[in-house]
Amino acid sequence: MRFSSSLLGLYGLLSASALAVAQPGDTDFMSVRENLAKDYESEGQIPTEKYFTESSFHYHYDGRFADQPLPDDKVTPHLSALIQTYLSTMSSIGAETWIMHGTLLSWWWNQKIFPWDNDLDVQISEPTIHFLAEFYNMTEHHFDLPGVDGGRKYLLEINPNYVVRSEKDRLNVIDARWIDTSSGLFIDITAVRKDEARRQRGETEALMCKDRHHYQESQIFPLRDSYFEDVPVKIPYSYTWLLEEEYGPRALTNKNFQGHNFNEDSKIWEHTKRSVKRFLRRGWRMSDLPTRSANNQPLVRMDAS
Amino acid sequence: MASYDSDHELGDPYYHATTQPSSSSRFARLSRPLIDSVRNGWQSSPAYRSLSSSPENSKHTGCVQIALSIIAAPRFRRYVLVYFVLFLLGWAGWAMVLYPRLEERGALLHALDPASKAEVGGWFGSNSLPQFDDLTHIRTLDPSLVPVARIEVDQLLKKIEFSTTDGDHLILTGDIINKGPDSAGVVDLARKLGASCVRGNHEDRILLLRHEMVTMNTLLTGDEKNVKLHEPSEKEAKERALARSLSDDQARWLEACPVILNVGLVQGMGQVVVVHAGLVPGVDLEKQDPSTVMTMRTIDLNTHVPSESTEGMSWAKMFDKHQSILHSSLKSSHADPRSQTTTVIYGHDAKTGLKIRTYTKGLDSGCVKGGKLTALVIEDGGKQSLVQVSCKQDYSKDNKEKKEKKDKKDKKAKKAKKDD
Repeated sequence: MRFSSSLLGLYGLLSASALAVAQPGDTDFMSVRENLAKDYESEGQIPTEKYFTESSFHYHYDGRFADQPLPDDKVTPHLSALIQTYLSTMSSIGAETWIMHGTLLSWWWNQKIFPWDNDLDVQISEPTIHFLAEFYNMTEHHFDLPGVDGGRKYLLEINPNYVVRSEKDRLNVIDARWIDTSSGLFIDITAVRKDEARRQRGETEALMCKDRHHYQESQIFPLRDSYFEDVPVKIPYSYTWLLEEEYGPRALTNKNFQGHNFNEDSKIWEHTKRSVKRFLRRGWRMSDLPTRSANNQPLVRMDAS
Repeated sequence: MASYDSDHELGDPYYHATTQPSSSSRFARLSRPLIDSVRNGWQSSPAYRSLSSSPENSKHTGCVQIALSIIAAPRFRRYVLVYFVLFLLGWAGWAMVLYPRLEERGALLHALDPASKAEVGGWFGSNSLPQFDDLTHIRTLDPSLVPVARIEVDQLLKKIEFSTTDGDHLILTGDIINKGPDSAGVVDLARKLGASCVRGNHEDRILLLRHEMVTMNTLLTGDEKNVKLHEPSEKEAKERALARSLSDDQARWLEACPVILNVGLVQGMGQVVVVHAGLVPGVDLEKQDPSTVMTMRTIDLNTHVPSESTEGMSWAKMFDKHQSILHSSLKSSHADPRSQTTTVIYGHDAKTGLKIRTYTKGLDSGCVKGGKLTALVIEDGGKQSLVQVSCKQDYSKDNKEKKEKKDKKDKKAKKAKKDD
C-alpha cells in the first residue's frame, strides 16, 4: 500500500518537474525540431538539485523501492533479470542502446555479469533519450520471471535534466534509470552526445557524456551484435580499445580480481575462498529468460519476447 | 768556488750575467782545500733556481711544441678526424642500432618468457571469446578455386601472369572496399577471379551498417530521420551510402570473408594464415579476438594486449620472435620444424609499409595514397617473391570524382599451383 501511494506521489512530482524543465518556450522542443536533437541550455541554467538519489543504505539501490540491500546471493540473479528485461524492452521499442564501462568489461570476460558487481551501465544516443523522455518516461514494464512469484515490475524513469547538455551539471550525470521496483536495484543509463566544444576545435567525431567520458564516433558506431546474459546486446565497435583506454591492459588479462579467480576452462569467475556452487547454479536455459507479461504493456510493441 | 764559479762564469758566458760571487768566498778559497769550496751552491742560488725550474719548463714547452707540431702535421690531423668519425660512427651504431636492438630483443624475450606470465597476472586471450552475429571468425582455405582482371589490380595480375586455369589463387588481405574509388568494382573482380579474402576493418564497418539496415528494414528507405538512433557522423553517412550501394550478392560475398583465413601448410612456410591486421603470439587462432585481429598495430609487452596505436612494440616483431623461438626449440626434436610454425600474411599497416620478416609478411604499401600495390607470390615448393605495381595517383585525395578508376589497395596474390 505504502509502496503504490509513494509511486503515485512520485508520478505527480515527476510530471511537475518535467513540466518545469520543458519551459524554454510554449512548444515542446521535440515537436518543433527539424533535425535531430540539439538543444542548448545556457550555462546559467545548470540545475542545482540532484534528480536521482541513492538510498541511504547502499549507493546502488533506489531508496524509493527498498529499505535494505539484497542478500549477496540474490544480487546477481536480480541484476541479470534487470539487464535482460532492459535489453528486451529497448529492442522492442527500437531504441538504440549498448553496454559500457564495467558491464562491457564483464561481457568481454565471459558475457556474464561479474559476480561481485552490483550495478550495470548502459548508454544510449542523444536522440534516443529525447525519444524515450517523450514517449516512455515513467512507464512500467511487467515481466514474468521463472521462479519469481508474480513476476517483477520495472520502471523506466528519465531524469528531466537530460536536456541540460553541459558537463557542469555534475548532479545529474545519469540521464535515466531502469529500476527493479521489487528490489530497488537499477541500471544507470547515460546519453552519449555530440561534443560541440571539441568539434569546434576540429575533432569532428567527438562525443561526450555528462559523466565526463569522451569518445569518438567510430569507437562506438557501428554497433556490434552479441550476447550478454544470454540475450542479444549491442556492443560498441572498438570494444577492446575502449576497455584498454578506460581500465588499462591488465583489466583484460588479470585473472584474479575482487577475491575471484577466472577459471579458464569453465570460463567462470570463481570465488577464491567460498564454494563455487553459487556460480555453477547460474546456468541459463532458454526458459529461464524473463518474458513480458501479456496483459501489461499498453506502450510497448509486442514483437519480441 | 770563485774559480769554480768564475771558471764557470768564463766557461759559460750564459751564466755570467746571473752569478754574483762574494769577496768572502774568495778569501776562504785561499785558506781551505779546494774541495771544500766545491758545493752545490748553484742549488741555493736564486739565480739558478729560476734556471732549475727551467728544464721542466723547457720540457713542457717541448711537449707542447711537439704536441703542437704533431697536431699541426697534416697526417695527424687526418688521423684525428678519421678516428673521431670512427668513434662517432661506433657510438651512433651502438646507441642507435645495436643497443636498441639488444634492448628490444631482451624485451621481446622477456615478454615471451612463460615465467613473466605469472608476474603480470596473465596474458591476453584467456577470456571466453564473445560471439558476434554475421561474422565469420575463421575459415580454412578450400584449395579449388578459379580466377582474371583492371588498372592496378589488372596490371599486377598481368605482371605475375596470374591465371586461374593454371590453378592460381588470389587472396586479398582485406580493406578491399571503402578505400579506393571503386569498391563495388573490386568486389566484382574478386568474385570473378574466385579470390579469397579476409575481413578488414573497413569491410567490418560497412557490413555491420548494412546488417543493421537489413534488420531495421531501412536498406531501401533510408534512416536519416530515425529518432531512435544516433545521428550519423559525416564519415558514417558515407559508409552508410556505400553499404546501401552494395548488392546482396556483393554483401554476401564480403560477409563470407573470414576474420582469419587459414591457408594451411605451405612448404617452407609452415602454416600460412592470412589476416587483415595481425595476431597475438601464443594465442590459438580460435581464441584470437576478432576486432583486434582486424585493427592491431602494436602490442603491450607485459600483458600481450594488442592495440591499434602506432606507438609501441610492433605485434609482427613479437610474433616473428615468438615463432623463431618455437622454431629453434623444435630443431632438435622435429624433422621439419618449419612445418610446426605459423607465417602470417597481413595488410592494414600502410604507415609502416611493406615489411617482410620470416614469419610475418606485411604487404600494405599504401596504394590508395599513391604508393604501391604489392603481391606476395608463393609458388610450388614455397618459393616466394614480391611483385609490385605503382599506383597511379593518391586516391585518398580525389576519390570523389574518379569513380571510374579501378584500384585496390593491398592484395596478396597467391599463386598456388595445385600439385594434383
